Amino acid sequence: MKEMELRHPIWIRIFHWTNMIAITLLMLTGYYIHAPQTFRLFDNMDTPRMLHFAMAYVLCVGVVGRVYYAIVTGDWKNILFSPLKDIKNFPSMMKYYLFLADSHPDYGKYNPGQKMMYSGWLFMALIQIITGFILYKPDLFPGLGALLGGLIAVRVIHYVVTWLFLLSVLAHVYLDISEGIPVLLSMFTGKMPKDFHHTSDGPKVPQPGKGVSA
Amino acid sequence: MPTKLSRREFIRLCAGSAAAISMSGFLAPFMAEAAEAGAPPVIWIQGASCTGCSISLLNTVHPSIQDVLLKVISLRYHPNVMAAAGDLAIQEAMYKVARENKGRFFLVVEGSVPTAADGMFCTVGEENGKPITFQKLVQDIGGQAKAILAFGTCSAYGGIPATPPNPTGCKPVADVVKNVPVVNVPGCPPHPDWMVGTIAHVILYGDYPELDEFGRPKMFFSGIVHDNCPRRQYFDNAIFAKNFSDPGCLLEIGCKGPIAHCDATTRPWNGGVNWCIKSGAPCIACTEPQFPGWPMYERLPEMPIAPGITTTIDQVGLVLGGAAVVGIGGHLIGNIATGRVGFKKDEKEGDN
Repeated sequence: MKEMELRHPIWIRIFHWTNMIAITLLMLTGYYIHAPQTFRLFDNMDTPRMLHFAMAYVLCVGVVGRVYYAIVTGDWKNILFSPLKDIKNFPSMMKYYLFLADSHPDYGKYNPGQKMMYSGWLFMALIQIITGFILYKPDLFPGLGALLGGLIAVRVIHYVVTWLFLLSVLAHVYLDISEGIPVLLSMFTGKMPKDFHHTSDGPKVPQPGKGVSA
Repeated sequence: MPTKLSRREFIRLCAGSAAAISMSGFLAPFMAEAAEAGAPPVIWIQGASCTGCSISLLNTVHPSIQDVLLKVISLRYHPNVMAAAGDLAIQEAMYKVARENKGRFFLVVEGSVPTAADGMFCTVGEENGKPITFQKLVQDIGGQAKAILAFGTCSAYGGIPATPPNPTGCKPVADVVKNVPVVNVPGCPPHPDWMVGTIAHVILYGDYPELDEFGRPKMFFSGIVHDNCPRRQYFDNAIFAKNFSDPGCLLEIGCKGPIAHCDATTRPWNGGVNWCIKSGAPCIACTEPQFPGWPMYERLPEMPIAPGITTTIDQVGLVLGGAAVVGIGGHLIGNIATGRVGFKKDEKEGDN
């Protein structure tokens, strides 16, 4: 039996999966609401709209809860992307992802790319929540809708950010699975083999010869 | 006491009247009484507009438009329907009325105000051999009014003349006259009841009605078309029209009902006969401040990707999605080739 260590505490896993369910359903129902003639997932407008609004509230709770958790436990240090500190780690990370190096330095829990994506998701989720509520109740925030250029512009923003979510989730799922099944499992069990990481100061021996030829 | 109709009753009448009764007809006796008792005069001027708002007002069928203009509204100046013309009209019917009723009369502005080239794109008369620009007229006359009633989307928000590239520098009235309250009655054109109702309110009570965030009277513009649409059941059941006049919800042919504020759902045009959506045409949200800044018969506008080039969001998304799939595929091949995925890793880990 390999030695396991805790990577994701229970609250991170709970928020991860509620947010994942909410975002997935929001995208599916949202796309039906956007294009009911081409994307025939439902046969009426009531069900997807009700589901969309319900999942919007689930996402609100998930985002607020995740941010609260990150603040009180200090977890924000793992996730928050800092342009000053993290940009300079990009070259070594890109070398690893482009097969120019077989390992990368230890960046902490997440590498700068992950930090950027996860911080970006918070930003995008906030945009979606704000624009979504403007469209849901146009008379609740009339000034805000006008500030963003009118409700049609708000719709465009809401839809563009949905595409960004779709594309980034695609990359997220691929990168997680391709890093190995233990990474995927760790989001369910919370545990990961202690010697798993590809860091150069970890147990693995770097192989510089391979990097140059690739 | 010029009126027996309380303001509360008046608002309820305006907000609820709809097709069942003719509002103008019901209001006429009260307003005639108010006019006899010395109601404030109204001056109506036109700038960068198509006169559509005036035409819409002339569609008031009951009572006849003559009664509305002569008995109901104490209208002193209107470029299209008055008999006087030229200097006589401008000096006597407009400047003199404004001077004598300073701070008491109401100014109706139809059309936006061209401000480029010192306003020379729109002149309305001559003074000492020099043209009077519409911008100067609005500032001179409007500055003395008790309130300005901006009729039509052009004067309320800029509308069609102010749409980019806007070479004439058209601006809404509220951007040109700052020291006088402005009541916006948007619409392309506004319903006659919205105009008559607003004028009636200011004449009967000497004050303008309660306004929303964008300066529109709440009694006419507080509802969203989509929420009150007679075709709403089609939307809920996901039955969509593919062409104009088809049965079904018009959302897929560009209906902007979900963002449009007005009560046309219950207040049809042409004397209560018909309105946009009932006749099978999508709502174009002509009462909204950003009108007409969107494609009228498309669900969403295209997004700019470079100066002067736009494309649909779906095309951008699909191209990026395709690139992502290619990238992932390439990376996966790299992963397999370098042995990062597969069984090799487990062997390595076993060695440690």
